[in-house]
Amino acid sequence: MTTRRFWVFIEQVAGNVHPVSWELLGVARDLASQVAAAAAEKGDEVVVEAVLLGDKVEAIAQEAIGYGADRVYLLDDPVVAYYRNCPYYKGIAAVAEKYEPEVFLIGATILGRDLAGAVATALHTGLTADCTGLEMDEVRGVKHKLLLATRPAFGGNIMATIVCRKHTPQMSSVRPRVFPMPEYDSEAEGEIVHEPLGVTEEGALACILEFIHHKEESVDIEYADIIVAGGRGLETPDNFQLIQQLADVLGGVVGASRPCIDAGWISSAQQVGQSGKTVRPKLYIAAGISGALQHKVGMQNSDFIIAINSDPQAPIFEVADVGIVGDLFQVIPAMIAQIEAYKQEATT
Amino acid sequence: MNKRIEFDAIVVGAGLAGSAAALVMAREGLNVALVERGRKPGGKNYFGGGIYTHAIAEVLPDFMERKPKFERPVTEAGFWFLAEDGLTKMVTQGGKLNAEPADAYTALRADFDLWWAEQAQAAGALLIPKTTVVDFIRAAGGAVVGVVTDRPEGEIYAPVVIISEGVNNLLTQKLGLIDHDLEPAHQALAFKQVISLNPKEINARFGLPDANQGVAVSVLGDVSLGLPGMGFVYTNKKTISVGLGVMLDTLAEYQLRPYEILQRYLEHPAIAPLVAGGQLLEYGGHLIPEGGWHDMPQLYTDGAMVTGDAASMVNALHWEGTNMAIISGKLAAETALEAHQQGNFSARTLAGYEARLKEGFILKDMKQYRRFSRFLETHPEFMGTYPAFLNDALGNFFSAYGKPKRQLFTEIYQSLTGRRSLLGAAGDMLSMGRAVLGW
Amino acid sequence: MFHALVAIKQVPDTTNIRIDPETGNLVREGVPAIMNPYDAHALAEAVKWKRKLGGKVTVVSMGPPSFTTTIREAIELGADRGILLSDRKFAGADTLATSYVLAAAIEVLHKEEPISLLFFGKQAIDGDTAQVGPGVAVRLDLPIFTYTTKIREIDLENGFVTVERHTEHWVEVVESPLPAMLTCEKEIAEIPYAPLPNLIRSLRYEPEIWTMSEGPLEFDKQQVGVLGSPTIVFKMDTPPLPEPGEKFNAREVGVEKAVKLALDKAAAAGVLQAVLGGAQ
Repeated sequence: MTTRRFWVFIEQVAGNVHPVSWELLGVARDLASQVAAAAAEKGDEVVVEAVLLGDKVEAIAQEAIGYGADRVYLLDDPVVAYYRNCPYYKGIAAVAEKYEPEVFLIGATILGRDLAGAVATALHTGLTADCTGLEMDEVRGVKHKLLLATRPAFGGNIMATIVCRKHTPQMSSVRPRVFPMPEYDSEAEGEIVHEPLGVTEEGALACILEFIHHKEESVDIEYADIIVAGGRGLETPDNFQLIQQLADVLGGVVGASRPCIDAGWISSAQQVGQSGKTVRPKLYIAAGISGALQHKVGMQNSDFIIAINSDPQAPIFEVADVGIVGDLFQVIPAMIAQIEAYKQEATT
Repeated sequence: MNKRIEFDAIVVGAGLAGSAAALVMAREGLNVALVERGRKPGGKNYFGGGIYTHAIAEVLPDFMERKPKFERPVTEAGFWFLAEDGLTKMVTQGGKLNAEPADAYTALRADFDLWWAEQAQAAGALLIPKTTVVDFIRAAGGAVVGVVTDRPEGEIYAPVVIISEGVNNLLTQKLGLIDHDLEPAHQALAFKQVISLNPKEINARFGLPDANQGVAVSVLGDVSLGLPGMGFVYTNKKTISVGLGVMLDTLAEYQLRPYEILQRYLEHPAIAPLVAGGQLLEYGGHLIPEGGWHDMPQLYTDGAMVTGDAASMVNALHWEGTNMAIISGKLAAETALEAHQQGNFSARTLAGYEARLKEGFILKDMKQYRRFSRFLETHPEFMGTYPAFLNDALGNFFSAYGKPKRQLFTEIYQSLTGRRSLLGAAGDMLSMGRAVLGW
Repeated sequence: MFHALVAIKQVPDTTNIRIDPETGNLVREGVPAIMNPYDAHALAEAVKWKRKLGGKVTVVSMGPPSFTTTIREAIELGADRGILLSDRKFAGADTLATSYVLAAAIEVLHKEEPISLLFFGKQAIDGDTAQVGPGVAVRLDLPIFTYTTKIREIDLENGFVTVERHTEHWVEVVESPLPAMLTCEKEIAEIPYAPLPNLIRSLRYEPEIWTMSEGPLEFDKQQVGVLGSPTIVFKMDTPPLPEPGEKFNAREVGVEKAVKLALDKAAAAGVLQAVLGGAQ
């Protein structure tokens, strides 16, 4: 009997876990179930396991079990109190060499992208970046199912499916919000396995001198429930005020498409799309955005999409649940007025 | 400190004139800097679509062996006269037009100019792209001894500078060779669309047997709302160039937008089927100096010469500018070579440039056609009335109305006189003759 | 001596990529090739420090012979030496095989003239993977700082560098021994308008081309190109289009009406509940 391990890296910074880690535990569970039947036939075991590094973070390990990990490898060491590339990748590579996972998923956050390429190289295996779709399936010439990792290529114009045929682990980095959050089960049972980090402070190579907190509270569009996004149709950066007003009325945040970021109209933290953030809010309003594929891949998982564009042929309408063909400078003020009217009704 | 950058000659602008000049000088062993403001030669250049080979052959006799970036040979040329709802064609094909190589080829500047500049580079000229010449370095006596570019440490020295900067001739003005901006009345704004179509479809629409035959026509009449202007249609390998030129002052006076005029022209019942279903690849416009003889600057000064569009060397009637540009570049280069031999770059030596131009066709043509742009200004009938008349007349002539022929001719005659008095028409013909033939 | 090594890539200008409306295929014809913008900013920073400290900037790239134009562009921007790693056998490399070839070449260059600092762009705009930099750092066992926005100090005497890197949470100020690798954000440096002497030098510059057999090193053929790439592209497709929703034309029904119809649909789908409370 062999154990087929589906691994997820749990990203924590100062004790706060990035939600993408839980999303990936959900995906890993799903992938594991896709090979369960074949494994059962051979008498193999399939498990979802998490890897967690940090200083005194056992509580997080327990949480990971609640989100679906059967086992958590915990590298608890003051050297990794804060993230540094070298001790992290060396520590993770050592446990991966020991347990030989079949699949290894890492969130495509700033930290995760820094880490994933290093781990994959250290393990001499393949890594597919920024996947938007994952499944286990047959590939001709390979006896067992492989991880089929789909990612947008060429600025989101084409979807490429990548496989890693002969090397393990099959690694992927996955954007936050591409997959849904799994249910938390406080009754779930699992095992916490302590592993040594194996890297000393001297071996960490770099020394963090200071953390400077961002001056402006950056807008967190990834996890916002309502996003109003503006595009080139706004014509001038000042017109983002109109977008902001609508967002305020709705209690949402402001997003933007790439041309606005390239033109310097708005912070890149607010960019939605292949080269920006992937979002899945309850409501996404796209105003003056034509809907290039590169934008669509970043927002098409939203629950409900309203598109406003003066061009009835604009591709954004292809992904919209409802579209308004019209001049956004008329439509948005009307929308603000209408929502305020509804709010009035609701309170009286 | 870096030592100063020196060349034997500097050419400003890698267009048709500039690359020709650079080629001729480099071939004779001069160390030539060819300074171009665009990323690549030709990127910012625009024209209707025809290149004459006689000029190319004068610079580069073996040009056909160097795989020139032509589109199609012009095997059919002529005039189309557009009425509001009709078209009369006066075209010629075969005969001289079947020569090999052809007298003219259609071309796209982004490709052709790049190839043309490559010939200069192959001869040894150094093409310096992405660099704009903004001023001159002058010696104590005022002679030009180099140029200043917009780059840091951007001075280049050379005893002779050939200015091939194009219609926007700021440097020519800076040297004081011309004392005024070109007047709007002396400039045409030409604009065109390049529309992509399957080559087979192009052949079918223009009645061409294959892609080795091509059409180049000037379109008169209902092109530019009856205002002074001329249209054109050129067939390329996989695209069609369709556009028109309108005098700049007219655009301003009637507050017309180029795009709207072009759109209307493209929707004309005679033009629309030619471009239907095609994909728009490019849209662009360019100024053409049509002032001709009247706007020509002084062509040389101590250490510098002016060529091509910068010197208003354009023949508005025959759509000739490219050949004049090439020839003027060549002649300026030959003058520069002579100056190097003599070790003297003064205006007296460079006067040889004007003498060479006078020997050739350029200055003769420029003088002969000197009235032409004025003529169009004062005779808008040629753009509206006559083409409409021609269509009416021929339409009547070739229709069987069941009328006596005599009555038909009377109607044709009236269709003209209703538009323009007979005396007026006779006067127009005379003026046209004067303008074209230089009477 | 300060010796900066900058890794650059030539990429299609993805802002210019069009899709053929009939075939749905990518139109690559006529798409201009540019230096990956992040690499250009990284190079600009390296050149800035060369001006300050003296020394030398070497650029290295892997790709087909047409990449020499981008090497020349690097010379124009102030690099002193440019090497192109180019061989048919390198083609089809994924990030692992790419990092092998780059690391092998950098190792040789480091032996020739010790490298103080390696500059990479944070990612290439045609792949967006951000994997090659970390891969090379691991192979060379170098400390790496991704998403670097600023170099505060390079102390050659004591052999350390201090940089700022931007993360989701904060700006980290990190000190590291040299040599080290940075992958750079655009903010690290403005790309200057190159001086004319640099441009002229670049026009006459012939980049060195190292192939499998020609050059100062021998590459392991098991580790390059397709052979050295664990991942392969299994299939490519254009994303399927979902059924589009209803459209209301403000010009036909009026702006207010169109807005109301659209919002009512949203309300019916339950997405406005949080905004409007229970009553709708």
